[in-house]
Amino acid sequence: MIEVRGLTKSYGDRLAIQDLNFTVNKGEVVGFLGPNGAGKSTTMKIVTGYMAPSSGEVRVGGFDVFENPIEVKSQIGYLPETPPVYMDMLVEDYLIYVARLRGKSKPDAKTMAQAAMEKTNLTEVQKRLIGNLSKGFRQRVGLAQALVGDPEVLILDEPTVGLDPKQVHEMRDLIQRLKGQHTIVLSTHILPEVQASCDRIIIINRGQIVAEDSLESLGKRMSASGQVTLKIRRKHEELVQSLSGVKGVMSVRRDGSGLDVSVDHNEDTIEAIAEHTVKAGAGLVELKATDLDLEDIFIRLTSSERSEVGREL
Amino acid sequence: MNRICTIAGKDFRSLITSPMFLMVAGASSLLMSYSYLRNLKQFGESTMMSAMQFGQEGGANIHFSVFMQHISITNLLYVLLMPAITMRLLAEERKMRTYDLLLTAPITATDIAVGKFLAAFGAGLVLVLLSLIYPLATRAVAEFSVTQLLVSYLGLALVTGTYMAVGVFASSLTESVLLAVVLGWILNLFLWFISQGAGFFEGSKFIAVMEHLSIGQHFASFVRGTLNVGSFVFILSCIAFFVFLTQRVVESSRWR
Ligand SMILES: Nc1ncnc2c1ncn2[C@@H]1O[C@H](COP(=O)(O)OP(=O)(O)O)[C@@H](O)[C@H]1O
Ligand SMILES: [Mg+2]
Repeated sequence: MIEVRGLTKSYGDRLAIQDLNFTVNKGEVVGFLGPNGAGKSTTMKIVTGYMAPSSGEVRVGGFDVFENPIEVKSQIGYLPETPPVYMDMLVEDYLIYVARLRGKSKPDAKTMAQAAMEKTNLTEVQKRLIGNLSKGFRQRVGLAQALVGDPEVLILDEPTVGLDPKQVHEMRDLIQRLKGQHTIVLSTHILPEVQASCDRIIIINRGQIVAEDSLESLGKRMSASGQVTLKIRRKHEELVQSLSGVKGVMSVRRDGSGLDVSVDHNEDTIEAIAEHTVKAGAGLVELKATDLDLEDIFIRLTSSERSEVGREL
Repeated sequence: MNRICTIAGKDFRSLITSPMFLMVAGASSLLMSYSYLRNLKQFGESTMMSAMQFGQEGGANIHFSVFMQHISITNLLYVLLMPAITMRLLAEERKMRTYDLLLTAPITATDIAVGKFLAAFGAGLVLVLLSLIYPLATRAVAEFSVTQLLVSYLGLALVTGTYMAVGVFASSLTESVLLAVVLGWILNLFLWFISQGAGFFEGSKFIAVMEHLSIGQHFASFVRGTLNVGSFVFILSCIAFFVFLTQRVVESSRWR
């Protein structure tokens, strides 16, 4: 449904995204995950035809965004970071206006506005001025705006940012319900968001894709990397050297009186480490094995000095 | 076409219900009432005098002594006030990020520029009609040529269209409504005084060209009540030019 090839964008001499390649299939829900400033919004602005890239190509439903902008834009519902709502309009009038901009006839526009309000639970505020609504409601009006006319593709840029926990929960529920009806690309800098809604995640950092996989297999690959913390009384330096030779150990780092060992997810490796340490007579007093969870991996993937794990992926 | 009407309709409604519009309409009708009634009274006194002196009626023409003054004053007011009406049209969209909606909707930059202009022009025409009420009401007490009056008002409507096109263009350039107003004034004044600048240069041909380019010359012929196709086309092309510039600016916002 969406094909992005070699997408690069620089603002002046500042490179925002660099050679992005990805595909989103029809009906998929894809999370676009990355810290602030990673280039998520920039990518979405280009895909929606809001902005032209410096180079590269975007196709939506077979149409090139720059050769056939009208065809592409009619297939996309877009919720930017700031909901594009007019404070001086009524919710209903605003949604009708959006439908009319999408070229719908007056009666159709009315029906579509109603449908969008029903999906986003806005019917009870339809006669209210948008300027008088709370931030959570405004965000929902923004989502309703993207839904007007049931576009094939939904592009949601940080749909829960700045909302309170209850509103975040409601927004996630709404997105969950849209699954299956649209192809959805959702950007976020918080992990639980993609865990809650996405089939597949694309992790982006400093304008480049650092990982791309389904949630399960990414999770598997992530738990495939664990950490063993050892506390020993003697021979620290010696062990840093010798432990690296143990099968399954990726790296060893000294941390005060302990050692941090990155390992694959295999109990044999942990056993081998324990055995090795005891044999070396290093005075083992503590051994703790932990799996990295998604959050740790995310931090590793997106932090500036990428760890072993990052390179591995 | 439909989408142009959608934008124009929505913005027209929001313009004429805005406090700024009501303020502009209120202030102009106050000033126009004052100056119009004063002119009319003077005209009445002078015709009475000439009637007594020469024993005949209609020594002076109400179109030249009253209406033309009224139209000039209206014009002056609108040069200054129209940018305040158009200032929000695109600047506010940028500032409030609703520009994103327009730029990602399946519409073209031309739809946006023309729609915004039509909204502004509609609001401008409401104000032109407001000014037309004064001379029309005078019909109750005096005889005059309505055609001549309407031709002058066609001229006023056209120059108002120019101020609107200029104002929308100014508004497209910036996020700041204040800057949009100031830019609007500068451009309007430039349109008016372009012929004045010609005086600095040698050569009567150049002056003639500059005078032709000055909107004032063309407006004046309308105000006298003569329908001149050249002037009509000139002012229309001014409008088209600024709408075109707006379209370029909107289109170029994709290339940042
Ligand atoms: N209009 C702009 N002008 C200059 N630099 C920008 C602009 N918008 C974004 N950037 C820069 O581009 C990078 C990516 O920004 P953005 O796409 O907004 O990231 P994200 O949405 O992932 O937080 C950032 O370094 C940001 O500072
Ligand atoms: Mg962003």
